[in-house]
Amino acid sequence: MKSIGKFIFKLMKIGAVIYGILFAVFYFDLDGKFLYYIWEPMMVKHYDNMKRPDNTGMPYGLKDKVAPAEYTEIL
Amino acid sequence: MKLFEFKKKYHELFVVEKRPEDKEKPRDVKKAFNDFWNGKPHEERRLGDLYVGDTGLYKHREWRGFMDTMYYFNMVWLYNYAHMVTDIVKYGDGPQSLVDFAKGVWRYRWMGQTYLSVMHWFDRGMEGMRGEALRASAWHYRGMVSETIRQFQRMFIADKKLHGGKENKYWKQHIAHNETVGGSFFYPFRQDLIDVPLEMITYFVSVHVNNHTVLKYIDAAQSIGLPSDPCPMCQAEYGLFVEDDYPDYAPTMITSNEACDGSVATSVLQDWFLNRPLYALPQPMRYDDPLVQKHAQKEIEGCWKFIEEQYGVKFDWDTYVKYAESFNKLTEFEWEKWDVAANTENYPINGVAQALYRIYYSQAGDRPIWHECDEHVRKIMNKTVKKNIITFPKTRHRAIAWSCAPLYYSNWCTWAYNCWGINCVINMDSLMFDQYLRTDTYEHALEDLNWMNEKAPMRAMAVGGHEHILSLFDYMERFNCDMVIMYDQLQCKGMQGIHGVFEDEFRKRDIHAIWVPHALPDKRTVSRKEIRKIISDYMTTVMHEEPLDPTLVEFDDDNSW
Repeated sequence: MKSIGKFIFKLMKIGAVIYGILFAVFYFDLDGKFLYYIWEPMMVKHYDNMKRPDNTGMPYGLKDKVAPAEYTEIL
Repeated sequence: MKLFEFKKKYHELFVVEKRPEDKEKPRDVKKAFNDFWNGKPHEERRLGDLYVGDTGLYKHREWRGFMDTMYYFNMVWLYNYAHMVTDIVKYGDGPQSLVDFAKGVWRYRWMGQTYLSVMHWFDRGMEGMRGEALRASAWHYRGMVSETIRQFQRMFIADKKLHGGKENKYWKQHIAHNETVGGSFFYPFRQDLIDVPLEMITYFVSVHVNNHTVLKYIDAAQSIGLPSDPCPMCQAEYGLFVEDDYPDYAPTMITSNEACDGSVATSVLQDWFLNRPLYALPQPMRYDDPLVQKHAQKEIEGCWKFIEEQYGVKFDWDTYVKYAESFNKLTEFEWEKWDVAANTENYPINGVAQALYRIYYSQAGDRPIWHECDEHVRKIMNKTVKKNIITFPKTRHRAIAWSCAPLYYSNWCTWAYNCWGINCVINMDSLMFDQYLRTDTYEHALEDLNWMNEKAPMRAMAVGGHEHILSLFDYMERFNCDMVIMYDQLQCKGMQGIHGVFEDEFRKRDIHAIWVPHALPDKRTVSRKEIRKIISDYMTTVMHEEPLDPTLVEFDDDNSW
């Protein structure tokens, strides 16, 4: 019984430390600072260097005629 | 990094300078405890001192008093971060969703650059809020975040680009549509198919959360020779295709001409880029002409027929009724909210939460998350009304915002309240889609759905005829407003055309109106700082008022999200 109590107390202590760290992250806006100064520039570099197909190369007349006239038939 | 540089950086990022007069003041323990427990009085907050340079970041987040800070930390910051993870799993394909999410972050600029900074979107919208106003507004944001996750997770699990070009079972179940095509159209098919707007997340919401991303798409559109003077919303929407940053998650596309000919161009370009079955569902410009009703209803039926033939599913009346009646409950609560906003000082939702939540849920259509959030807000609103809690106690002016808002500065109203006591009670976007959906007969259902479509954002009160645009003055009276914030979208040809009429009406009616120029998603045309300067100039030179928080009158946030 005593060891269970100790274990619960230990868990509560760990929980309190994690809660305190999270509060510090929140209060000092560390999540925002990380995303702004580290994450975003890194991702922008990644996206800028991505190879992308040239969609403008698609011929204008490629599309099959798929819409029967009755869809747009009016009264 | 040298010690001196480290200290300088630490100072820049974390230290809030005290004013010389504060340094000289003797220490008042009682007041310090009172400020700790209750938060500083509005006039002493000096929120502008918390910013890190022009980034919009905080040296530290605002101390709102013990209870409100703990609420914001536990029930907004922690709660939303935790629920984002559960939503990613819930709306995707089980644990595999986390992999799809990671792939989406890596593949799409609008995802990886934008949405991880979402808690700063809360911060900007909720700045200075206290008590019930903080709580109710945050619930609205929670609803929008959850629906955003639902939409991008649905895209990612079906996206051919993330699954080696393969058409999986989810791809075959999805309908892609323009963000301006209402989700309500798809109610009859919701037991078989999943409707997800293509540009709501990739463009519209992204600008509110992090306005850096959209600039790339606007520039991409112009880089292939498309003109730079149409609405930048349309430019950004087809820029996604030029940049190959659209997810390929559905076999068909439903497009719209809403709001204007710029949107028609978007449809034409999407038809070219997508190369798949596409149905254009137009809304008539002079929509309340009785002669166009039958025609417009026929267009909706054409859309339903298109879906039936493309997916091999049947129109299901019972499913339509189920979702339409559920959506009507959201509409009924919206009317309750308007009633409280118009006639009391107990309305607990701030201007930006009201505007964005209303346009988001009415555009997306019925979803369980809206009902869940409305229940939370209902409890809060019942409490504020019963106990007569004045939710925005520093209100000097009740404002109505009209026309289309600057997406990159939708939180201007939070600033305007904190700095000048301008409480933006209602706005044009909130008042659209004001239509109850009858479900007694098919004919009534079609009639009402068509009316709802015709009262869509921008169609009704921006480019739907001057009589609707000028309904501003009626709403101003109904919501007991004494001031108009008149958005001036510089690239909206429709609204530019009627600018002079408004000038004349404001003069004739002796109304305080502040014109706020902007270019919808593009912050480079009119910066947020310029918008604040225009409002502040009006408040000092015309209204002869002093700011509630002088640190908010002039600050730089050019590089903020």
